[in-house]
Amino acid sequence: MSLLFYIGALLIVIGALCDFFGALGLLRFPNFYVRLHAATVGIIGGAAVPLFGVALLALGADFLPHRYAIAGASFVTGIVVLIVSPAGSHALAYAAHKAGLVDWEPEVDHLAGVEGDG
Amino acid sequence: MTYAVLSAGLLGTGSGLRSLGEFYLGNSYFGDYSAKSPEVVTSILWDYRGVDTLFETAVFFLAIIGSLTVFRLTKEQEEEVKRPERPPAEMTSIVRDVTRVIVVMILAVSASIALHGHLTPGGGFQGGSALAVAPLLIIAAYSKYALEKSGFDKTRALILRSVGLLGIALVAVIPLLYGGYVMQNQPVFPAEFGGQPLGGSLIYYNLFEFLAVGAGFTAVFLLLAIPEEKFKKILGVDE
Repeated sequence: MSLLFYIGALLIVIGALCDFFGALGLLRFPNFYVRLHAATVGIIGGAAVPLFGVALLALGADFLPHRYAIAGASFVTGIVVLIVSPAGSHALAYAAHKAGLVDWEPEVDHLAGVEGDG
Repeated sequence: MTYAVLSAGLLGTGSGLRSLGEFYLGNSYFGDYSAKSPEVVTSILWDYRGVDTLFETAVFFLAIIGSLTVFRLTKEQEEEVKRPERPPAEMTSIVRDVTRVIVVMILAVSASIALHGHLTPGGGFQGGSALAVAPLLIIAAYSKYALEKSGFDKTRALILRSVGLLGIALVAVIPLLYGGYVMQNQPVFPAEFGGQPLGGSLIYYNLFEFLAVGAGFTAVFLLLAIPEEKFKKILGVDE
């Protein structure tokens, strides 16, 4: 077992923790936007990070057949998740803000003066 | 899969397989008249049970025809539907830029799923469904009008779908010319090209199914993206 193997395993454990805290936040946070933040923690921390972990773990495991294919696929999937999920969260938050469906009392509102399509 | 065949089928160590499963495993890649495909599921779908899959495709074709009939429009109404009522609302630049990157990736991945269908899990229908996500994302992030302005409208989608179906039908009847049966695979179609396994007719079926399913779904998505107010205007229904 090489060092890569242990780093990969550590990343997967971090991913599990992020998933746990994301789920906890999704249940306990007060409104839509903060819950969306918790969900995104669950996606980036709980899906992208473990995928990179799987890539490292596969690279470090000498006994594994096709380990380069597994590592490459995990790495590419992690990159895709990393690109797509913030865009998705952004689109949801933007749509919710524009439709004005969520009750909230903001301390600071940077979008207050912005009208029309951003 | 190869491991399963080697350990269970060829070496003859007491396998837990039923005789039919053993037949499929042993004959999907080995044997003279097999599908020559390492992916057993695809060889069962398009070779051993090819007619079954052909009729599944026909069901999908009928479903598309049904939705086209529900949304049928005259030529003038088609033109009317392509004109935006007011400048269409687009998503923010973050979403649009990400969509632009992801659409290219989806096209590549879906083509890979379809064209590797005879080697790895996947195939024409799965690849086509993945392909249809690309226009769906464009419709969501930009608008249906942006997709139509770039040249991919309902008519083009229907032409592509028809090309796909025609291809499937042609691949199915070509063996008749060589004195074979309908939908026969080996030895009519070459099993490999330049050392790369093609799976005989499987790759052609997958390619055409990919086109038919992707374009069929796109046509339906374009129809579903027509705003309600357009239809109310066309039908003369007031609010």
